[in-house]
Amino acid sequence: MRSARAVAAFDLLTPATAEEALSALRSAAPGALAVLAGGTDLLFDLDDGRLASRTVLSLRRLPWRTLAWDGAALTIGSTLPLRTLENDPGVRTRLPGLYAAVRAVGSVALRHRATLGGNLGRSAPASDLIPILLALDAEVELVGPEGARTVLVDRFVQGSRKTALRPDELIRAVRIPEARPSAYLLQRVRPFHDISHMAVAVAYSPRRESWRVALAGFPPRPILVPEAGELLRGPRPSSAEVVRAAETAAQLAPIVADKRASEEYRRALVKPLLERAVRACASSGGAT
Amino acid sequence: MTASMRPDARAKVLGQLAFGADLEAPGMLWGALVTAPAAHGHLRSVDLAPARALPGVVAVAAADLGPLLSGRSGDPERPAFPRETVTYRNQPVAAVAAPTLPLAREAAAAVRVVVEPIPAVSDVEAVFPDWPGSDLGASPHVAAHVLARRGEVDRAFREAGTVVRETYRTSSVHPVALEPHVCVAEVHDDRWTVRTSTQSPFGVREDVSSILGVPEESVVVDGAWVGGGFGGKGASFVEPYALLLSRAAGRPVRLALSYREEFLLGRTTLPAVVRMETAVTSGRIVARRVRLLLDVGTSLPGRDFATGYAIGFLLGPYRCPTFEIEGYGVRTNKPPFGPHRAPFAPQCAFVVESHLEHVAREVGVDPLAFKADHLWHDGDTTALGQRVAHFGLPTALEAARGVAEEWRRTAPAGHGVGVGLGFWSTNTPAGGEARVRLTPKELVVVQGEREIGTGSVLVGLAAVAERRTGLPRDRIRIEYADTAHAPYDAGVFGSRTVGALGSAVDQALRNLLATLAERWGGRSPVTLGWENGAIVARAGTARRPVSEFFNAAESEAGALVAEGKHYGQPGTIDESLVVAGTFYPYTDFTGAAHVAEVTVDRETGSVRVVRYAAFHDVGWVVDPLSARAQVEGGVAMGLGTALTEEALWSDDGRLLNPGLVDYRIPTLDEVPPVDVTFVEGFLGAGPFGAKGLGEPPIIPVPAAIASAVRAASGAHVTELPLAPERVARALKSR
Repeated sequence: MRSARAVAAFDLLTPATAEEALSALRSAAPGALAVLAGGTDLLFDLDDGRLASRTVLSLRRLPWRTLAWDGAALTIGSTLPLRTLENDPGVRTRLPGLYAAVRAVGSVALRHRATLGGNLGRSAPASDLIPILLALDAEVELVGPEGARTVLVDRFVQGSRKTALRPDELIRAVRIPEARPSAYLLQRVRPFHDISHMAVAVAYSPRRESWRVALAGFPPRPILVPEAGELLRGPRPSSAEVVRAAETAAQLAPIVADKRASEEYRRALVKPLLERAVRACASSGGAT
Repeated sequence: MTASMRPDARAKVLGQLAFGADLEAPGMLWGALVTAPAAHGHLRSVDLAPARALPGVVAVAAADLGPLLSGRSGDPERPAFPRETVTYRNQPVAAVAAPTLPLAREAAAAVRVVVEPIPAVSDVEAVFPDWPGSDLGASPHVAAHVLARRGEVDRAFREAGTVVRETYRTSSVHPVALEPHVCVAEVHDDRWTVRTSTQSPFGVREDVSSILGVPEESVVVDGAWVGGGFGGKGASFVEPYALLLSRAAGRPVRLALSYREEFLLGRTTLPAVVRMETAVTSGRIVARRVRLLLDVGTSLPGRDFATGYAIGFLLGPYRCPTFEIEGYGVRTNKPPFGPHRAPFAPQCAFVVESHLEHVAREVGVDPLAFKADHLWHDGDTTALGQRVAHFGLPTALEAARGVAEEWRRTAPAGHGVGVGLGFWSTNTPAGGEARVRLTPKELVVVQGEREIGTGSVLVGLAAVAERRTGLPRDRIRIEYADTAHAPYDAGVFGSRTVGALGSAVDQALRNLLATLAERWGGRSPVTLGWENGAIVARAGTARRPVSEFFNAAESEAGALVAEGKHYGQPGTIDESLVVAGTFYPYTDFTGAAHVAEVTVDRETGSVRVVRYAAFHDVGWVVDPLSARAQVEGGVAMGLGTALTEEALWSDDGRLLNPGLVDYRIPTLDEVPPVDVTFVEGFLGAGPFGAKGLGEPPIIPVPAAIASAVRAASGAHVTELPLAPERVARALKSR
């Protein structure tokens, strides 16, 4: 009884279909409704009174808790708990970078609630999932009143807590076009249950014979550094290539300081993290 | 000694015990604090009208206090709310109560507070850029100045073979009890009652009386199961505000800090800068000079205790014939300095141990041999003239050295093994009293403290009673009472509970047994036992039910009552050495030696603790399970101070990381297995020679970790915590 009175009252909507959810979204005044896709981040705002919304739209009853392999492509429903994603044997073996990134999020208990859609929707600068999705050329499937559209994660994420999601849209799924050797490495103050202050995601596409390098952990958002990826050649790049890629990434990335780390330290971390990530990626083989 | 399940464990695991955070009262209102929007400034106005305009809201602030308290006034130096000047950001300037917490928060946000800013002071080194080397005494920023010296220090430094000078910096740490500060207050007529989560009900009573100007006999403080103290709940905090609100509302008021407020308003152990200078000739320390610049927040001048307390730790448990120690407590626009388990001792041990290790390396001797050579032994006199006796640290160090050597032999390449020492003083003069009640079926220990989680009250006092009387533990019950009914006790802090309150319990029991012996015609010694469903008195082979010794009044009351008290002797220091200020007289020394094995990522600076061993001088192990748990918990907490915990303050007195996302306490995943060894037999002043164990386990941790990091990587880190970026920087500057 007491806990019910400790947080400001709000209406909780739990639509069972996408149509109902979109309709609720459409009829809400701007800022009056918050979308709940797990709540591990949103609850902080509710508890602190920072969230002005008096209506919370929960997506938990929507039929989006899905995981589907189609050959080498993987489609992940936006409300699938991260723990389920982590427990999928295919993810572990065929997308080791995604697996590592999911495991970097919070604790097991938290991952039972947290979702990929929520992580993308909240779009935090230190997201562990966005950088690996960037490296994997993932796309976000959005649904709105005019139907569905697909946006590259790189286009979807616009800044700290800023996305291309329109007020009347919801994230339905994330599509990874092909399983790739990949790796995700992060540096944080506490070795567990902490936010990264520098992270590197890499993936190698055997089909396109190209590398993607993403950096994260600093504001405003995780970014791809295509120039760094282009310096890496073949499934097992040489040490010299990796060093040049790391130097390029550290130089080109718009790395800044904040309370979590200095700019100098962050730039210095790019090389060891990228070297280790490429090594891990190369040794994870061509499991596709 | 019997290892046993904690009597509160089952109920706690099942969520059946009412912690402070579970307190409520019928018809209660919810309180919220209105806080200062600037770290320093003239308080121009606090307009409560917008809050009062909300239905059901009660609001109080400084201007309202007179009528509320019928003209009484509290200590003018520590008003509940500031009248003219705010001295730290988020200082409470008013309080509101409302039927729901959201409404209370809304009302608090509606109060209009106007502060005309004055430049704020945050960084002590920015205030005194010429320190050390300049006399800061006249500055209004100085809250305390302590200075002591012995011998011809300057000459000793001039003539020494080697002089090593270093500067260390330590961070601001927060107790981080899981349960925030919380209470429920209820004022009726002239009876000011508050139920609260506290380490010191009597301390809260004293504070409330002083702050509100209400006589102590009108204030009743009742405790609750405490959801973690760690030093942060030793004094009043939310209670005066809740009482004022209840007085104004005529209803019970619950006031709890949110977790964010815990950080924003909370008292922390603040940052310090230490300059260490050591002169060595032929492998011996010939002189030391220690200078401390300690941030004491808005602590009042003349009332700062921290500076004189902390500086004594900076010489460490080492002999030093010639020395000079000088400390300044510097006032800043931060909340007042607050205790954190073994206030400032882990930081000081980190400085002393890291510095002496560095000195030993500089002069080319083995650091542990160097420390062992200078360590206090029984019969020594400390720098400030206190006698060292029954000191088990040399024995603990020998055991730790053995383990360290073995670990060094067996550790994989790249691992480093380090050792850190720490000392503590566990018999404070803070007193305690207790009452025992013997019925035919049970022995009840009546006292005023609540169990804060360490086991010192629930298990420690019962263990003392078990050993004194011989009665099995399940016939001994610890009873809690409020300050109107319990005998006085100073509080569950300073590792004093078993030592001081336990001594009072022991005294009460000895009085009880003496009464039984006297009534049994002088038979002695008398002990107690549980036989055939009754408590019996035993003397030799004779047995008699205790009820046979009750007089008429006792038979009617059903119990024989005895009382005991213990007020420790304050330690003494050699005042001829003191030039300025007040130094804390430590007594009843105890100590610990810790061994850590770590790995260091040489590229990122990340440190992982692989294994850990702790050797503690405890006098007598009162309860093995609780003792072991204290050490494991203390090590875990110390790992936070060592590796991750750091409250970050901006130059204008803003706390930048008010929450558990960026103020990082350790998680179970990075706490390694801890081997615990107790060194018994160096008996202290507590019952049966017990020494306190609440605080010592945290003290050597940062020192041991820093030593291991240096062994693993060569990084000599002179700042706490040893977060990856600091370690990486130290590696780079090698």
